[in-house]
Amino acid sequence: MNAVEIENLRRVYRATIGTFRRSIKEVVAVDNISLAVQPGELFGLLGPNGAGKTTTVKMLTTLLIPTGGTARILGYDIVRQADQVRPIIGFIFGGERGLYWRLSGRDNLQYFADLYRVEPRVAKKRIPHLLELVGLKGRDDEKVEGYSRGMRQRLHIARALLHDPQVLFLDEPTLGLDPVGARELRSMIRDLSTQGKTILLTTHYMFEADALCERIAVINHGRIIALDTPAGLKRYAQDLSVVEVEVFGIEDNALEQIRALPAVEAVSVENQDQRQVVLVQSSHGSAVMQPLMEILAGMRVGKVVVREPTLEDAYVRLVGGEKGIAQVD
Amino acid sequence: MSTREKIVANLRVIRTVFVVFFKMLAVDLFIIFTVLIQPLLIALLAIYMNRERASEVAIYLIVGSGMTGLWSGLLFTSSFAIRGERWFGTLEMLVGAPTHLGVIMLGKTLAHVTLSLSSMIFGYIMAALVFRFPLVIIDPLGFLVSLLFTVVAFISFGLVIAPFFAISPAVEGWVNALEFPVYVVGGFLFPILILPQWATPLSYALAPYWAAQALHLTSSGAGSVYPNFPLWHDWVMLLLFSVLYLFLSRWLFAKVIRRAKVEATLGLQ
Ligand SMILES: Nc1ncnc2c1ncn2[C@@H]1O[C@H](COP(=O)(O)OP(=O)(O)OP(=O)(O)O)[C@@H](O)[C@H]1O
Ligand SMILES: [Mg+2]
Repeated sequence: MNAVEIENLRRVYRATIGTFRRSIKEVVAVDNISLAVQPGELFGLLGPNGAGKTTTVKMLTTLLIPTGGTARILGYDIVRQADQVRPIIGFIFGGERGLYWRLSGRDNLQYFADLYRVEPRVAKKRIPHLLELVGLKGRDDEKVEGYSRGMRQRLHIARALLHDPQVLFLDEPTLGLDPVGARELRSMIRDLSTQGKTILLTTHYMFEADALCERIAVINHGRIIALDTPAGLKRYAQDLSVVEVEVFGIEDNALEQIRALPAVEAVSVENQDQRQVVLVQSSHGSAVMQPLMEILAGMRVGKVVVREPTLEDAYVRLVGGEKGIAQVD
Repeated sequence: MSTREKIVANLRVIRTVFVVFFKMLAVDLFIIFTVLIQPLLIALLAIYMNRERASEVAIYLIVGSGMTGLWSGLLFTSSFAIRGERWFGTLEMLVGAPTHLGVIMLGKTLAHVTLSLSSMIFGYIMAALVFRFPLVIIDPLGFLVSLLFTVVAFISFGLVIAPFFAISPAVEGWVNALEFPVYVVGGFLFPILILPQWATPLSYALAPYWAAQALHLTSSGAGSVYPNFPLWHDWVMLLLFSVLYLFLSRWLFAKVIRRAKVEATLGLQ
């Protein structure tokens, strides 16, 4: 049996727009998704803002009713058998809402342990253990309103693990964590996976997906546009070579010119303070170098690197290619 | 998980939720005003208006003003019970947990009603100690039983209010429309005999009216429309209303949760 099984899942939001002349606009957030996650697998859902990741996770966690299609968690239907699904799953949604700010971290966990029907004697041992695991030991008697963003995010993770669920849904788990905290969390996710938990996580961060996931589904505009192992996905960019140019203050029309060059597949810009790193993917290797340098002539150019394609390049090609210039943060 | 284990787990949730929310409410200034200060002002005003025979009617007015605190406290806290969770972003966490939302709300309503009850006790102590009114409850046992039925009926009503206000967009309007009129139609501070005839059926349709009847009858002996209307009739009516409200509540909860999952409003602020 699959741990998560999704068949033609669809979700349409209806939003009313306008104050006086009201009309209803339909947004197709998830458009016919099908996939299966094996028990014990660490599966990633990767996609840009608005791709439909959170919507998918909300449906799988019984918080949203699909417009069409079905999904099952360990065989239980997410709509008809939601009561059976809830005790076996844990979930977190990136962000800091969803906790009682006037209670301490420990009291929050105690409260949710009861809601998840954890036996008191089990909870008594597990709560201190989880507090230690997420690095909140020593701060657990303070009110959540005094916690930092990252501390709240960690408390959410402890909350999701209270009832020792078999399947975990982590929607942008490292959102708002500092680099060290994010790394600790990634190693924790890896540990949980080693313990045999099935994990479905969503992320924007390529390296995170690459480092953690056994398989990745790239999702855009509510559709799965690729589903493979990280190595498999990299093959999407195998024939590409990538030129990374560091520039200081590049104009949009220069980017358009680069984009228009015959050998160029995709262009993306990474903003770092005053400098930008322009990534140019081309199918003709170094042939693109000369025209590229002509366009950049007169600009302050820093490092120029030609390198092998990475998962990020595959992602940019899949997702950003059609948009022309992708902004990566 | 067996049914028995589920019941035990639900009782644990009710206890935990009760403790957590009772502590939160007890330091909430708005709630303190609603359940303690406002009823006290009402009682003082009513006693002043009846100052010639104040010592005779004091107990009637204390019980009556206590009921205004009970009602207003319930109305405000229960109408905010689900909306508040949505506001804090915790509603998704609650709906996503195995415990039924209604059980969690039962714990919260219990906290609301317990705090609101303190309003009546507070009024009683104030009247007895500060104003030195002779406060005698003519049928203490009957009064306690009536209070128990009242609490059950008010909790059940709170469990209707919570989901009802979660779907109704015009919450503020409803709360205001229900607060003071129920004081009057419920016969909290004066018998409904002085109201126009057409209002009587309205009174009969409200559990607070039957609660007021039973509490007045057992405390001061006043208040019954029909002099020979026996006390146990009030109790039966309170019980019937409680059952009715609980069925209505169950239906409303199912509807509210389903609707929020369809319209994606669980997580909205
Ligand atoms: N409650 C809602 N009502 C209307 N539209 C919504 C609602 N929630 C999401 N959407 C729309 O559905 C689409 C998918 O949103 P979703 O939150 O699932 O994306 P996401 O992949 O999680 O994005 P992000 O990376 O920014 O978190 C977007 O176009 C979004 O505007
Ligand atoms: Mg999202």
